[in-house]
Amino acid sequence: MNPATLKRIGLGGITGNPIAFAVVLALMALLLAIPLTHNGYIELVFRNILMYAAMAYGWNLIGGYTGYVSFGNVAFFGIGAYCSAILATHGVDNLLLYVLLAMAVSAVFAAIVGFPVLRLKGHYFAIATLGVALAVTDIIANLDALGGTGGLALHQVDEAHFSIYYYAMWLVALGSMLGTYFIARSKLGYAFVAIRENEDAAAVLGISATRYKIVAWTIGAMMAGAAGAVFAPANGFIDPSITFAIDSNVFPIAMTILGGIGTVAGPFIGALLLAGANELLQRFFVKAHTLFFGAMIVLIVLLLPRGLVWLFGLRGGARAWLKSLSVYKA
Amino acid sequence: MSEVALRISNVGMRFGGLWALSEVSFDVERGSVLGLIGPNGSGKTTLMNVISGVYKPTAGEVTYGGKRIADVATHDVCHLGIARTFQIVKPFASLSVRENVAVGAMYGRYGAKRSTRASFERAQELLEVVGLARVAERPASDLTIPDRKRLEVAKALALDPDVLLLDEVMAGLNATEVEEALDLLRSVNARGVTLIVVEHLMKAIVSISTSIVVLAEGRKIAQGAPADVLGSPQVIEAYLGSRWVKRQEQLAVIEAERIEAARLQPPEAGA
Amino acid sequence: MHLIAQDLVNGILAGGILAVVALGFSLVWGIMNIINLAHGAFIMLGAYTTYQLFTSFHVDPFLSLPVSFVLLFALGYLIQRFIMNWVARAPVLTTFLLTFGLSLLIVNIALNVWTGDTRGVTTAYSGANFTLGDVTVPWAKLFTLLAALAITGVMQLWLTRSRTGRAIRATSMDIGAAQLSGVRVTEIYAIVFGLGAGLAGVAGTLISLSYALNPSMGDLFLVKAFVVCVLGGLGSVPGALVGGLVYGIVEAFATQIDVTVGGQHISGSGLQDAIALVVLLIVLIVRPTGIMGKATA
Ligand SMILES: Nc1ncnc2c1ncn2[C@@H]1O[C@H](COP(=O)(O)OP(=O)(O)O)[C@@H](O)[C@H]1O
Ligand SMILES: [Mg+2]
Repeated sequence: MNPATLKRIGLGGITGNPIAFAVVLALMALLLAIPLTHNGYIELVFRNILMYAAMAYGWNLIGGYTGYVSFGNVAFFGIGAYCSAILATHGVDNLLLYVLLAMAVSAVFAAIVGFPVLRLKGHYFAIATLGVALAVTDIIANLDALGGTGGLALHQVDEAHFSIYYYAMWLVALGSMLGTYFIARSKLGYAFVAIRENEDAAAVLGISATRYKIVAWTIGAMMAGAAGAVFAPANGFIDPSITFAIDSNVFPIAMTILGGIGTVAGPFIGALLLAGANELLQRFFVKAHTLFFGAMIVLIVLLLPRGLVWLFGLRGGARAWLKSLSVYKA
Repeated sequence: MSEVALRISNVGMRFGGLWALSEVSFDVERGSVLGLIGPNGSGKTTLMNVISGVYKPTAGEVTYGGKRIADVATHDVCHLGIARTFQIVKPFASLSVRENVAVGAMYGRYGAKRSTRASFERAQELLEVVGLARVAERPASDLTIPDRKRLEVAKALALDPDVLLLDEVMAGLNATEVEEALDLLRSVNARGVTLIVVEHLMKAIVSISTSIVVLAEGRKIAQGAPADVLGSPQVIEAYLGSRWVKRQEQLAVIEAERIEAARLQPPEAGA
Repeated sequence: MHLIAQDLVNGILAGGILAVVALGFSLVWGIMNIINLAHGAFIMLGAYTTYQLFTSFHVDPFLSLPVSFVLLFALGYLIQRFIMNWVARAPVLTTFLLTFGLSLLIVNIALNVWTGDTRGVTTAYSGANFTLGDVTVPWAKLFTLLAALAITGVMQLWLTRSRTGRAIRATSMDIGAAQLSGVRVTEIYAIVFGLGAGLAGVAGTLISLSYALNPSMGDLFLVKAFVVCVLGGLGSVPGALVGGLVYGIVEAFATQIDVTVGGQHISGSGLQDAIALVVLLIVLIVRPTGIMGKATA
């Protein structure tokens, strides 16, 4: 089995394995019931999972489908959060407006920044996006109007209606997932993948790499921005270190790769697993939870280098799996 | 006389200190089949790259229907009606064979008018034409070398071109397969598509070309009807026998891979 | 005027450390195509090695340089040999994720060993400095710079002159050809990763002289390593030095910015990262392969 074949197995088509996608949709439906538990902690955990899932979907479009590894998507999450905060401090108290403004501002920002940044390739693109994220963080931290490093407090709905934030995040995650599904199946999805596989060949077939990279990056930015917009009021308070945290940058990438990069089911599965495991470990191992968390990531990478979605398409049982382990060995 | 489709005037292309092409000029008539030959490293692929807009020439220009190719973005060249194959094949490895071709149908010349579904139907038709229908569902990375060459042709055809540039699509095919490929090209040409064919196999070139251009070290050294350019068949046998062809094909692959590797290589350590 | 000279000196002094911080990261990325997110954790381990030797045995930090190097080299070598090697040919993101996991794990172990408290290495010469005209130069930082220059020089010589160094460069250019000519790639990879970790350890030691220590100190330096190595040109030893110095100087000057625009007071000291990164973006847009990187077609 060569790496390229391995890559294909279990990923079944441009949207990924259909069974995996069906399972993920079913799980999403189940997650609608979480607020019925009336357990604030559980609701928070799952709201975080949904939030990370939306961010992972945003990253997956540019990093997974288009093959441009971005380390800057957290900027859009932060921008989304600040959009909510600004509206809130001006007395606007409408979650839908928050989300719409966040998506619009993230999209405009992504498109403007995308023009110079997306001309870079590979490593240079990765660094430039990281630079964008850090620069945005620094600038916001220095703007007194946005509270500087001190942050901004947001007005929250009363406790009885608190689940509205959960449902809003659920919708953002679902929208990101379905958006990814329909985009992947459309002409757009094929342009993204063609660019990922070979930019020269894509250009000769009529695909403007610059244009479609910006499209992928901008749509992804809207997903992260929407997640940020819901996060801000749900959290009640934001500051640069919360909204632009390293975790919010690396987690969605890690989730997408662990789940299955360039698939529709992968980001959600990865978010469920990683954010879920993170919570559980934190509960049971106060001092050593990141040790176990790190070890878990290492093990999954070694045992399932193509991500969890790959398991759905594995044929030939344990033997095929064992054989696949040494595929990437030097 | 028929009209000129492509005009190549005084094209020069420099890489560092090397002129891969210098002062190359010729016209390609609409509906004709131009054979482009020359030893390995003579600049054939570079000329293909200039015509298809992948490289901007250092000197001179290529015009198509009065438009300078250099003024057109690479991704818009196919919208003018020019399609090309890559000597070093470039399949989209993780997509299926049919999807590979469908991408061309979606974004090529008439792509804007085609739905995704219509693009897949068109791709299937083309796979039948080039003989790849049997592997339509397989990932492109699974294909054998001859099948990858066929895939290149199918992708180029999916762009609905008026001019088709074919860079060594028959290298590595056996005698029967070469005949099949020639039949395919004849039928494409019969539908009015102008062909520019790069091939080492002289029999194939002679049998399909209406005229031939010979390159050596980046310069055009001869041009004309196949018989005039190449002289008698005996000469072809003597100088361009089958061993020579094999050797040229091998060298061509090595050279093209070297160029590709040099282009893709990251800055080296300690540079 | 003297302020400018002082900024320049500060920038150069800081740049020397940044060069070493980026060097190992750049080699691993450039040669093995691995974005090593554990690099920051390795730096932290190097710093704590020095701290431990200093507090327990009163070993001078400069004397602990070789110890940090050897310990971290061994750690890196083993990690590559027994863990990373399983996914050596996987896409770059797979190893990226693996090193992310490793980094979490290492930082957590450090947290349990040394707690999260901030620590420092204070030597007799820590506060000492001398003045050159109007410019103040701390001795510790000057020695650090000299050590950084020496390390970069030795690395460059070793990579270009030694047998192993040449094998490494051959491997980075064409793995298949290197293998054919008898290079044992697994071994070379383990050495390079060990070297990257060893250099991180050395950087950690140098850092411990001028910065406070805590288990998550590596994050900041990881980000800087990222930027510096791309700024200079990936996998290039002189590039890391140039990139480090440029970054250090830009940052030092950025701290001096102090303007008020439309009632909004903007002070460079908080914005130095942003300014340095904007410079990086401009460099990349003008020279997409870094200052010292080879221009590719
Ligand atoms: N991208 C490139 N960079 C540097 N040199 C190149 C490049 N492309 C082609 N060349 C050089 O140009 C010459 C012609 O190459 P090519 O057009 O591939 O020849 P042919 O296709 O006739 O075998 C060769 O000497 C080759 O090394
Ligand atoms: Mg050629």
